[in-house]
Amino acid sequence: MDWTRYSNIGKRQPRIEGVGKATGEAKYTSDLKLPRMLFGKLLRSPYPHAKILNIDVNKALNLKGVKAVVTGTDIPGQKYGRFRSRRDETGLAREKVRYIGDPAAAVAAIDEDTALEAIELIRVEYEELPAVFDAEEAMQEGAPLVHDEYQRNICATRYFDFGDVEGGFKNSYHVREDRFFSQGLSHGALECRAALANFDTSGKLTIWTGTQSPYQVLRQLSLVMGLPATKIRVIKPCVGGGFGGKGELYAHEVAASLLSIKTNQPVKICLTREEEISFTRLRNPMTVYVKTGVSKDGIILAQHVKCIANGGAYASTSVLMIYNAGLTCLIPYRISNFKYDGYKVYTNRPVSGAMRGHGANQPRFAVECQLDMIAEDLDTDPAELRMRNASQKGDISINGLVFSSCELSKAIKEATKASGWEQKRGPKHTNKGIGIACGGFVCGARIAGHTASASFIQVNEHGGVVLLSGSSDIGQGSETTLAQIVAEVLGLSPYDVTVISGDTEITPIDPGTFSSRVTFYAGNATKQAALEVRQTLAEIAAKHFEADVKDIEFQDHKVFVRGRLDEAIAFNKLAYMAVSFGHGQSVIGKGQWAPQNTQFPDKITRYGNVSGAYSFAAQVAEVEVDTNTGEVKLLKVTIGDDCGQVINMLGAEGQADGSASMGQGHALLENILFGDKGQIMNPSLLEYKIPTALDMTDVSLIEVGLPDPTGPYGAKEIGEGLMISTVPAIVNAIYDAVGVRITELPIRPEQIRKGLKKK
Amino acid sequence: MGRERIVLNVNDEDFEVLVDPHKTLLEVLREELDLTGTKEGCGLGGCGACTVLIDGEPILSCLTLAVEVQNRAIVTIEGLLKDGHLHPLQQSFIECGAIQCGFCTPGMILSAKALLEENKTPSREKIQEALSGNLCRCTGYNKIIQAVESLIKG
Repeated sequence: MDWTRYSNIGKRQPRIEGVGKATGEAKYTSDLKLPRMLFGKLLRSPYPHAKILNIDVNKALNLKGVKAVVTGTDIPGQKYGRFRSRRDETGLAREKVRYIGDPAAAVAAIDEDTALEAIELIRVEYEELPAVFDAEEAMQEGAPLVHDEYQRNICATRYFDFGDVEGGFKNSYHVREDRFFSQGLSHGALECRAALANFDTSGKLTIWTGTQSPYQVLRQLSLVMGLPATKIRVIKPCVGGGFGGKGELYAHEVAASLLSIKTNQPVKICLTREEEISFTRLRNPMTVYVKTGVSKDGIILAQHVKCIANGGAYASTSVLMIYNAGLTCLIPYRISNFKYDGYKVYTNRPVSGAMRGHGANQPRFAVECQLDMIAEDLDTDPAELRMRNASQKGDISINGLVFSSCELSKAIKEATKASGWEQKRGPKHTNKGIGIACGGFVCGARIAGHTASASFIQVNEHGGVVLLSGSSDIGQGSETTLAQIVAEVLGLSPYDVTVISGDTEITPIDPGTFSSRVTFYAGNATKQAALEVRQTLAEIAAKHFEADVKDIEFQDHKVFVRGRLDEAIAFNKLAYMAVSFGHGQSVIGKGQWAPQNTQFPDKITRYGNVSGAYSFAAQVAEVEVDTNTGEVKLLKVTIGDDCGQVINMLGAEGQADGSASMGQGHALLENILFGDKGQIMNPSLLEYKIPTALDMTDVSLIEVGLPDPTGPYGAKEIGEGLMISTVPAIVNAIYDAVGVRITELPIRPEQIRKGLKKK
Repeated sequence: MGRERIVLNVNDEDFEVLVDPHKTLLEVLREELDLTGTKEGCGLGGCGACTVLIDGEPILSCLTLAVEVQNRAIVTIEGLLKDGHLHPLQQSFIECGAIQCGFCTPGMILSAKALLEENKTPSREKIQEALSGNLCRCTGYNKIIQAVESLIKG
């Protein structure tokens, strides 16, 4: 890959907003202050399932310093939800609470202490109802219904049946059936959720909130508040990480809005870490059943995957998550007979939603571990087995996914070579092991409704460039990536580009940051807008130089005719010339983009190319197991990655490091523990253990991708695809080290010791 | 118990504030002094986002009462900028890609500063240990460690 032809693309670009973050100047939602601002708190249900008979707020209202108390009966609008087909929330519960922590009321007061005291004074009369906590139990006839309209508590289901799975199994040389379990996880973003709502005297509701999708918040708020969307403005300040969890409307955003409308004062609600872990969203705890049939050479002939997700009390991202779980099974390998059953089940537990990988991680862990078991059964090298089945460029999968670019084979080759796979596999004298797993992901799945991204660029008379993007930088560096693209087109530096993102009044409509879509969609929209600006400026330059528009070059902050560099003028000067060009030329560009090669999946068969391109990765993990304690140390992760053309190499490495760490947490450290009433027993960062600096592992990222025909400059995604193969690579490495096969996550030292004892 | 008038020395400047005795240093810094660079990540001392330096030592301000730290030299992230110039750690964090969402950054930089002032040539293990109380969910710590290492001369 030729990195040298670009000035900005492919470079190691530090964050353009880096200084603000390094000096503490960057403002996150909880840092914001408005005059006369009030502080809000939520009252939450102590029962997993109960009718609300009565709420007495008088004592709370009479407490000095309390300005308003609201309950579900004050919600003016209708139910909302991430998807139109699953609108089941009102923010503050109406009639029924469905999990311990479900908000039933909210208070606004002059300070947090007063608000907390007021919460204690609210009297709620509940009538407890029978509750259900286990997903498979909840699906049985006769189980208590969390939502009356959903029979057997099945919130969402997806079903694929491609080819002839039974025939495939019949023709298989070897068939395995295994069961796996992946635990509930918390996103662990350092910034807890917060919202600042201000309902002004013109009847406009402005809400500042650390969200991944301002337009999602806008639409849902409009529904639940009964306010026209034209009267709502959502602004995303700096966000301290999201990882998929901050992409929906939340109760505290509804409560802050309602309280602000009631008091005519700004209201800020900041969640505590305990609320953040216990009462927002989790990664879906999931049981995965996999049945795979292979030929004598280890070619996958048929596969049946069944996923049962414990979805908790509300739908959240339901349909997309459970579809994604099945969809992503068909990316890394060529499988011609495939069946999928996915269920997201309602239970009286905290809600499961989207988290980095969004349903792909759990079945990937299952399939990749089973493939290793199959490799052993066939006495084949696990990396070789992957090679034989790897998807190739030009393939169209059985469900219609078109792999316009794919370097998975190269990724496997490079990752195994660089990690010393050959030498490290086989009989050992140490407790070290090496394991491999592969995965693939979408670059923004086609969803119902608005899927495209748009960008506006304006160049002012002094040459300042402003990019307005509806996308949301939640810490992953999208603003820097977009600035690099503008800089590439206009011959500038990313530091010359001011990026304004995530303000529904100013920036164009955008789906938001999820499904790894920002670089792919917003990047292309931004490139388009930048090219329009370039064209306008080039026409002015052409007149000035008396040359052809097509011979005008933009480089190093200069504009010149190709071959006449000595006559170059500064970019800023050209921008100023536009002022007196004709009647005065405004230099503005507009871009709007969605991949033209995608389809919304067929409603029955689910066939369809849902993404414009797919990323691929092969990950090799090396571990060392202490056979006395059962503890596992992750030594190194080597990643062969195909994300197409890398736009920010520093950013790509950062994503690789971060996702290896998150995968390490998923495999070895993190576990949401549920009590007997579905409540989360370890809602603190002391007890829910995310990796620390002491757990840091060596990560080596090897980029093997070629430019994709559809991505901006050929770029694909890197934010989610990497993490999904980390977990099984670690599990497989442990088996290689000490011969203990784990099928339930997280891997605990006790499980290793137990497994060693069995041998 | 009523409010107390206390004097806090923050970033070389004396501030007179009226506080409830139960208020933490974190709350007073953020709410009374508008120094919002110090963050609350958990309120229980588990994440390090609230780290400030008190007489050069990294201290969790969410577990410190404001009334306890009068007559001590408190340094927050805002105190590192001198005459518009970034501290070398701030510079290296930016250049090495050690900043993603930025929420852990202020606390992380202050912990690193305290380490480098005590030990000019820490080993990688010593750096990891010094930063072990500062959680980061975005970076996996690799580039943070590199940023600190890049300042070690010789």
